[in-house]
Amino acid sequence: MIRIRGLSFRFQGSETETLSDINLDIRPGEFVVITGPSGCGKSTLALALGGYLFRQYAGDATGEVAVDGLDARESEIFDIAELVGLVQQNPEAQLCTLSVADEVAFGLENRRLPRQMIEERSEWALDIVGALHLVDRPLATLSGGEKQKVAIAAMMAAKPQVLIFDEPTSNLDPTATGEIFEVIQRIQEKAGITVIVIEHKLGYLRPFHPRVIRMEHGRVVSDGRHLTPYLPSRSNRAACHSANADSNNNRVARTEHLTVEYDKVPVLDDVSLDFHTGEFVTVMGNNGSGKTTLLRCLMGLLRPQAGDVEIFGQDIDKFPVSSLARDVGFIFQNPDHQLFAESVWEEAIFAPRNFGLLNEETRRRVLDLLERCRLDGYREAHPHRLSYGEKRRLNLASVLSYEPGLILLDEILIGQDMENAMLIMDLLKDLTTQGSTVVNVTHNPETAWLYSDRLLFLERGRIVVDAPTPEAFARLANLGLKDYLPNGSVEQLLAR
Amino acid sequence: MRGKPKITYQPRQSWLHALHPLAKLCWLAGLSISLFLVHSPVSVVTILLLTVIGFPLAGISLRSDVRGIRFLTTMGVLLFSLQVLFNHSGSSILDVSLGTVNLSVTEVGVANGIYVGGRFLTLVLMSYLFVLTTDPSALAYSLMRIGLPYRYGFVLITALRLAPIFEVESNTVYQAQLTRGIEYDVRSPRRFLTLARQLILPLLVSALSKVDDLAVSMEGRCFGKYPTRTYRRAPNYGSTDILALVVLAAGALGMVLLGALRI
Repeated sequence: MIRIRGLSFRFQGSETETLSDINLDIRPGEFVVITGPSGCGKSTLALALGGYLFRQYAGDATGEVAVDGLDARESEIFDIAELVGLVQQNPEAQLCTLSVADEVAFGLENRRLPRQMIEERSEWALDIVGALHLVDRPLATLSGGEKQKVAIAAMMAAKPQVLIFDEPTSNLDPTATGEIFEVIQRIQEKAGITVIVIEHKLGYLRPFHPRVIRMEHGRVVSDGRHLTPYLPSRSNRAACHSANADSNNNRVARTEHLTVEYDKVPVLDDVSLDFHTGEFVTVMGNNGSGKTTLLRCLMGLLRPQAGDVEIFGQDIDKFPVSSLARDVGFIFQNPDHQLFAESVWEEAIFAPRNFGLLNEETRRRVLDLLERCRLDGYREAHPHRLSYGEKRRLNLASVLSYEPGLILLDEILIGQDMENAMLIMDLLKDLTTQGSTVVNVTHNPETAWLYSDRLLFLERGRIVVDAPTPEAFARLANLGLKDYLPNGSVEQLLAR
Repeated sequence: MRGKPKITYQPRQSWLHALHPLAKLCWLAGLSISLFLVHSPVSVVTILLLTVIGFPLAGISLRSDVRGIRFLTTMGVLLFSLQVLFNHSGSSILDVSLGTVNLSVTEVGVANGIYVGGRFLTLVLMSYLFVLTTDPSALAYSLMRIGLPYRYGFVLITALRLAPIFEVESNTVYQAQLTRGIEYDVRSPRRFLTLARQLILPLLVSALSKVDDLAVSMEGRCFGKYPTRTYRRAPNYGSTDILALVVLAAGALGMVLLGALRI
């Protein structure tokens, strides 16, 4: 089905090859997983298979790529699109109409199919992804998982022979992630097409018994059936300390009866919490459960309808965000939204300079942080030239540079491979041992299991679990929330 | 948590919402032109009243659902008042003496006030009513069905799709800057440029990245492969739409005749 020989690609302006001497054969109907660290060339390979890399991106290519005999380097994208469908990471960015029905019909209309056939194909595609009930909905009203299902249906409607999923669940919560993998399974069973999944979340892929291709630095380094998702065990857990929840002396932040509504729909509902010095708190819950809203309230970015927020004993209503920021660091979801300077070094010292803290000691600290974040070799590089994982680490260094006492992180691990995730978490854990408090919103139960002292689980704006991490996971297991449990730990937790 | 809804489509179950977008567009164009053709303040006021009545008929409250209504009304009244106060042509209908100041209100001043203020208010309200009751997607598809090149139609649709995303993103970038200690204190043009650059650069990078993703998504579904395309949506013209167009045509014909007879 797919034949790649000696494929190399170097993006214009880059010194290194993103793809380097790739050789692969993929048979019809095969289920293939491509994995590897962030920036290893997985997504670039996906773009090459769809022909986009050679038509839409400037760079030097060598080698051969053929899909069902069609030369992907020379053919029009339209011709390859008849064979290959590509579902991208971000459902928001790949939808181009305003309603579900229009979105699924879009490709069929462009192919000038008659209306009757468009209706039939759209219905078939929505049915196969389990989204037929969404057909009359505007896209703006869908959840992230529902949008991704529609994006898959829009590709499936054209009945491609190869469907590529480029980290289709990176923006989704565990429940939606599980649903998307069920969709992928259904597609393979019913349509019998070749499926290629680029993914870090290998635990979900075990039931498929896939062929696993691992890439590093643009090269294929292994190709086989060996799927080894990271399986944390209790012995891996970093030494956790239980903060004294009864003590008011070491309280860093407090919310009391916090209530936030959007259009009369409660997003946070009477949430009362205390956060203590040196605590590493993980916040989990489905998309829309109120996790980000909680962080925004703690940062003063959102004023609640009811309730109070105190940071270091002070009512935050009395302080502007730019003043609170000296003591509270906040990292947003998208790394691109928080890079403001012209070089990595300038970005890292951006906040200390704004706070008037730039001195020799701060410079030394920033140098150390850049080294720990493996960015010391990029000091003069433009932040936007970094890979996704590198940008994320730069975001972290920029915030840690001025040593805020409370660090709020909104899904900093999205799109991170386990190695990078561990690097970030190790750094944060060290800070908690030095007295900083970390509140980390994440969909990654493995890192929560390994690093956090305490776990909060939110459901429809309410705290349903708030306990030390092992106990919290046991409660989640008893609540039947298996998608939120670390890989391989379900039985162990249920036994507690 | 949120104020009045934005000036955007507000789905409701009303006959005005159900009317075909092209029928509504014809009415909007027809009434806008007629506003400038009529030579009677009464006609302007009549069209204004018809427009205002359209809001409750569409299930939309002028007071709570229309953003900026107070500003618009103030502007309309201001335009009217300026004409009344400073246009002294024609016969006087009211003379008021305030000490050394003599205020004279004339027929022409009032008429011009109604023309200027009334036309302004009517045009804006009619446009609001059209936007609030018309699904922009349905409008774009309808325009493409009658000959608008589909590439232009999808410029409108993708803009409508991405605009709310960019709005959210610009707010996020602004908040991210606050959390890094930036204060929006514009002390000098240089400071203004620095703040603007720091706000625009992340947005630009994000926008370009989205354009890349969207281009892959659209080309991967054969957008642009052929000069024309087919449509899933049927051109649904109902009897109400035909009636609306007939009434509009009759009205236009009547105006032409009245104009010809100089009535």
